[in-house]
Amino acid sequence: MQTILDATSADQVVIVADHLRKNFPGPVVALDDCSLQVRRGEVMVVIGPSGSGKSTLLRCLNGLETVDSGRIVIDTVPLDDQETHRLAIRRRVGMVFQSFNLFPHLTVEGNINLAQRLVRGRSRTAALATTVSLLDKVGLADALHRYPDELSGGQQQRVAIARALAMHPKVMLFDEATSALDPEMIGEVLDVMRTLAAEGMTMVVVTHEMGFAREVGDRVVFMEQGRIVEQAATDDFFQRPAKERTRAFLGLVV
Amino acid sequence: MSTSRRVSIIRDLVLYVLTCIGLVWLVLRGAEQLGYQWHWRQVAHHLIVMGDGSLTAGPLIRGLLVTMEITLVSLVLAGGIGLTVALLRLSSSRLGRCAARVYLESIRNTPLLVQIFFFYFVVAPLFDIGRTTTAILALSLFEGAYVSEIIRAGIISIGRGQWEACYSLGLSRTQSYRAVILPQALRRILPPLTSQAVSLIKDSALVSTIAVYDVTMAGRTIVADTFLVFEVWFVVAALYLTLTLSLSALASRLERRFPRVA
Repeated sequence: MQTILDATSADQVVIVADHLRKNFPGPVVALDDCSLQVRRGEVMVVIGPSGSGKSTLLRCLNGLETVDSGRIVIDTVPLDDQETHRLAIRRRVGMVFQSFNLFPHLTVEGNINLAQRLVRGRSRTAALATTVSLLDKVGLADALHRYPDELSGGQQQRVAIARALAMHPKVMLFDEATSALDPEMIGEVLDVMRTLAAEGMTMVVVTHEMGFAREVGDRVVFMEQGRIVEQAATDDFFQRPAKERTRAFLGLVV
Repeated sequence: MSTSRRVSIIRDLVLYVLTCIGLVWLVLRGAEQLGYQWHWRQVAHHLIVMGDGSLTAGPLIRGLLVTMEITLVSLVLAGGIGLTVALLRLSSSRLGRCAARVYLESIRNTPLLVQIFFFYFVVAPLFDIGRTTTAILALSLFEGAYVSEIIRAGIISIGRGQWEACYSLGLSRTQSYRAVILPQALRRILPPLTSQAVSLIKDSALVSTIAVYDVTMAGRTIVADTFLVFEVWFVVAALYLTLTLSLSALASRLERRFPRVA
């Protein structure tokens, strides 16, 4: 499955994950020899049944969880024990969570400004300018002074996306970003993600939205029981799945 | 206002007044049984001394000021100690966790009075520190242990998602604590922290045992001189009540002004 890259394409690879293994206490293997590469501007969609390790894989990519063995390199920075590398990677990788995780004690402005000021050291005015333009982009220009609990789920998730984007990440990770939303709000969040993909953002998207995967994904990874069963270009994956398990899964969900 | 609501308020008021009357009656009866003579007028000049046409603070008021000074300084120190110990207990350093645990358990499991004596008779001569400083030291170390547990509980109560959001934005652990975790935790722990501060005010009465001239000590001295037992202790109790109630009022005002937490 793993492609051998020549020198020119190597610098286009933003995410390298090599033979990742992780065990949780108990009989279930969290990650079993997972390898993947994501190129600049690519949208990789990770699908699979619940408990298949999709989220764990994603969370390992920015060091929220540690792997037992294997190698992760993000934008030429290796993710290892060094705190500086860990921080450097987190500054390059934005993450959007299923449960939004906005800071409830801060306004939308405070939420988006915070890391810009603390991590990027931007001035208040510079941070605010970025915040305002990003809110405009996710369609929430009027929410600047609202608190998270005054917003709907879909609005909160769009603020969370803006908050991640404010750090100018090289990669965006989406961990089931629409799974906690009411059906009528899924669309507005997927629209924002679609726009990002069109602008060339490198994205890894864990999702149950097959329509979105088909439409936006460049490549699809199918996982089951901690293993990557199949990964392929989107058209191939949906029209000519190679593995029996993939066909069975697609038969169930599509 | 509906009629039933008005009726219930009147009923509560009546009950309240009846309870107060009952309590006063009990006290008066008790005093009567003892053959106690009330001399309320003599208490006044222990509060305020009138002489040469000017008013100066009497021993009780001076004692109250000492109590306020000791509790205020101890409150600030206990807060600092509590935060440090809580962060140590949650840190990744084994030594830090261990030290914090030893401190907590040894303070929490011995009587405050013994600790005050220990500081007064053992530590104070060793480092040549004064009585008031000794009192402040003992009190803040004692209350700090309880405060640390309150703060730790507050920090733990903040969901993992908040930490993950901080980390994924590139915030360091210190930055996450300062900007995200502690502000939310503080809002949640304000009620138990207030109780602890009230406890501190009351516990400070024990420093009179090492001859710090606080309001309790002033009361003891006056009682010894004048035998106005009931009057003086009631006044002392009222002075403590004034302190603790003002503190509680301040805390609830603060609580309302605080930023929200989910």
